[in-house]
Amino acid sequence: MIFLLLVTALGLPPGPPEGAPLSGQALEQRTHEVASLLRCPVCQGMSVADSPSTVALDMKQHVHELLARGYTEEQILSYFESSYGQFVRLKPRNPLVWILPVVVFLIGAVLVVVTLRRLSSPTTENRELRTDNPYLDRVRELVEKE
Amino acid sequence: MNRTVLIVGAAITLALVAVLFVGLGKDPAEIKSPLIGKPAPEFALKAVGTGQTIDIAALRGKPVVLNFWATWCVPCYQEHPVLVQNAQIIPNVQFIGVVFNDTEDKINAFLRERGSVYPTLLDEQGKTAIAYGVGGVPETYFLNRQGVIVAKFTGPMTTEILQSNVAKALQ
Amino acid sequence: MTAALGRFIVLASVFVSAAGSIVAFAAGRKRSLDGLQMARRFAYAFAALMALATLVMEYALLTHDFSVGYVAHVGSREVPTWVTIVSLWSSLEGSILFWGLVLGAYIAGATWLTRNQHSDYMPYAIGTWLGCATFFSFLIAGPANPFLTVPAAPDGPGPNALLQNHMLMIIHPPFLYLGYVGMTIPFGFACAALLRGRLGHSFLRPLRSSLLLAWIFLTIAIMLGGWWAYEVLGWGGYWAWDPVENASLLPWLTATAALHSAVVMERRGVLKGWTVTLVQGSFLLTILGTFMTRSGVFNSVHSFTQSAIGPTILVFLAATLLYSVVLLALRINSLESDGRIESPVSREGMFLVNNLLFVLLTFTVLIGTLFPLINEAFKGRQMSVGRPYFDSMVVPVGTALLFLIGVGPALPWGRATKQQVIRSLLLPFISGAVVAIIGFIAGVRNPWTILTLLFGGYAAFVTFNEMFRGGPKVVRRGRRRFGAYVVHAGAVIVLVSIAVSSTMRTSKEVRMTRGQAANIGPYTVTFIAAEDRTEPHRQSTIARFAITSNGKPVTTLEPRMNQYATMREPIGTPDVHSTLTRDLYLSIMNIDPGTQTVSVMMLITPMVSWIWIAVFMMGIGGVIALIPLRRAAIVSEAKDSVPEDAVTA
Repeated sequence: MIFLLLVTALGLPPGPPEGAPLSGQALEQRTHEVASLLRCPVCQGMSVADSPSTVALDMKQHVHELLARGYTEEQILSYFESSYGQFVRLKPRNPLVWILPVVVFLIGAVLVVVTLRRLSSPTTENRELRTDNPYLDRVRELVEKE
Repeated sequence: MNRTVLIVGAAITLALVAVLFVGLGKDPAEIKSPLIGKPAPEFALKAVGTGQTIDIAALRGKPVVLNFWATWCVPCYQEHPVLVQNAQIIPNVQFIGVVFNDTEDKINAFLRERGSVYPTLLDEQGKTAIAYGVGGVPETYFLNRQGVIVAKFTGPMTTEILQSNVAKALQ
Repeated sequence: MTAALGRFIVLASVFVSAAGSIVAFAAGRKRSLDGLQMARRFAYAFAALMALATLVMEYALLTHDFSVGYVAHVGSREVPTWVTIVSLWSSLEGSILFWGLVLGAYIAGATWLTRNQHSDYMPYAIGTWLGCATFFSFLIAGPANPFLTVPAAPDGPGPNALLQNHMLMIIHPPFLYLGYVGMTIPFGFACAALLRGRLGHSFLRPLRSSLLLAWIFLTIAIMLGGWWAYEVLGWGGYWAWDPVENASLLPWLTATAALHSAVVMERRGVLKGWTVTLVQGSFLLTILGTFMTRSGVFNSVHSFTQSAIGPTILVFLAATLLYSVVLLALRINSLESDGRIESPVSREGMFLVNNLLFVLLTFTVLIGTLFPLINEAFKGRQMSVGRPYFDSMVVPVGTALLFLIGVGPALPWGRATKQQVIRSLLLPFISGAVVAIIGFIAGVRNPWTILTLLFGGYAAFVTFNEMFRGGPKVVRRGRRRFGAYVVHAGAVIVLVSIAVSSTMRTSKEVRMTRGQAANIGPYTVTFIAAEDRTEPHRQSTIARFAITSNGKPVTTLEPRMNQYATMREPIGTPDVHSTLTRDLYLSIMNIDPGTQTVSVMMLITPMVSWIWIAVFMMGIGGVIALIPLRRAAIVSEAKDSVPEDAVTA
């Protein structure tokens, strides 16, 4: 019980670390990566990795420590989420926001193919552009513009 | 009349305007704390001046006003007298101050000048602040007798806000 | 007195623009040339009133008349004169007045330039423009009135300190407004075509030219915004997908798509309805953008606080959306196609793919920006959609676009035979491979960056090939085409520079005491001293660093930490040493003059200066394409632009 108290007193995520402890260059790299996924609570939209504010620096230091102990990215993100809220995750977890653009792309691709087919179909008339003499029309328009 | 354009266009218009309209009613800077209604995270920190270690769990049985601040924070200067005054007049409520990213000397100097009637704890690396989801300072948490966080207030405290939140904690 | 005069002028402009709009639409309905003439006069009158109101405001600012509300808000006797002049657009109310000024100038200009032509379209265009003008006049006269009378104080606080920091912040807003407001003009032309029920070949020119002009300004404005963020904000990046940044990007994306589909429209007479939709969308996105910036609904670095202006803009957005949708639904079918496309495998087909990608980008950025709001509306919880999302989504599409910049111009108009396709892809592909290999040797390992280099080299080859096809005469005669390729060349450089500068950056965070040095890349950074400096509006701590390379002195950099009286957290200002190959960027994380220690973030970002240069190049390309031809060249341009299979007399 006292051990639990001490453990949570240090501000650690619940449960044991699920990954391997990191050190050296790999640790610095991962700290930057994970810190880039956390939102600085006081700045407008900046990540913890980029922000010079006091809280962000503390959070980055904490991420560094947790990674050194072997906590995984997900464990660390969940931990911050439990005290700061979902707001602190910069990468949204809601699948909808990731899927919608793909859906739009697919619908759009279908529309493009259909349109190209329709526009190039042999039954589509190739009508004359506006007047019988497009040459003249163009010249007239350009001259009139002056 | 191109029905497709009308339906798609009307749908987009309606959806967009509705979302933006709802957004107008909210303040994006006000972030609700996920800790409200949950037990306060445990911590045990040393008090400046006395050197005594205070464990938050040991304070159960009385409502707690937990105020995070720092000497480098300008609005904290404004709210300090409010806290000191109310700590003295509101009975049976424990006031605790937590300072992070600061030095004992600066805190002691601040308290000597402005008065100290309740323990001020030093959270050296800001871990407790992180555990509570503290973004900036000052931020104040209100805990009830069972140690559950009932409210969080961001910004300099005023007497009205303090007293209304303490009332919540007393329920 | 000044305030009352200002209020009067602004109120008059509401009536003038409203009356003018009604007169214009009536003239269109009745096909009355006299009515059109009268509508034109109203348009000029509106522009004159806006200019007058601006002059009155500048007069009030320069004479430090603190009884005028806006002057009391941003004026100050302490600041230099040029700051006083530009504080017109430094804060909300003044910037709306500035919007009105730019709108008036654009409407007057467009009205004057079309005074002798298109009289069957123009009443509707002027009517639409003056309708928008009515709204903005109403905003200035009502919720965002800068001419309110307040009790006169002896002095004022001056404009926002952040805005006085850097030259870029002075020119970014005007360019942004010229781009944003400029979208109103093609919107008017597009609505005119719908109201008239046809989009003739000759009407394409004003539509395209006005769209291109606004596009040029918006392109430069977006670059200036990114450059400012890079030089001033301190995190070493230039684009954070902040809602307000996205607000400026969204109309640019649809406008670029529209410029491309307009080419197909001109050559083949197809895609009229689609182009009109894109043009309307670009304007609507500027209104959405202004709502996002000013309503206080979005969490952003640029946020203004919530005020009555938000709901008003929302009403306008809803009204213009409805206007556009109704017009489209009723009239899009009457914009008949004049022709057809020969084959999907052709340049025309590639233009359509281009549109698909740009619209996809628009939608993705829009969804990312609005999703937190939608989520909160339904679930009541706040969530973030940040850089990681946008970067993941946009990089693949951007890379595909780069590929298209290469393939599109490599394919011929009309129909491409298989042989042509292979031939046009092979040689550029080799040059692309060369660039990619060079990159790999230089240390590039990120797969997307390698791909970008491959496509970039390929696209560069095609672009330069097409640019100079036909010899040096092109610059005089085929200006539109030449200009377009200059834009493409710039775009290729931008995309490659973004890829390289983001993935090849090296950073190092060090703690130094006086006299200590650290190495990064080819540079040695020595910490000389930390000193405090007190200025009237802020307290700064400056860290001085000597930069040397190979023992030879390069420069001195002085990043600083500023504490403004009004802000909770200190704001850092970085210092940058820019060269064509790389930038050395220093930003303070922590500084203590007492112990003379500093914790500094050092960044080496390759090729980042090329982004600013190349976007500027894109602007130049746009200008080249915009310059009208002299009479002698008109006939030859007419020859060039008529499709090969058109019937001639």
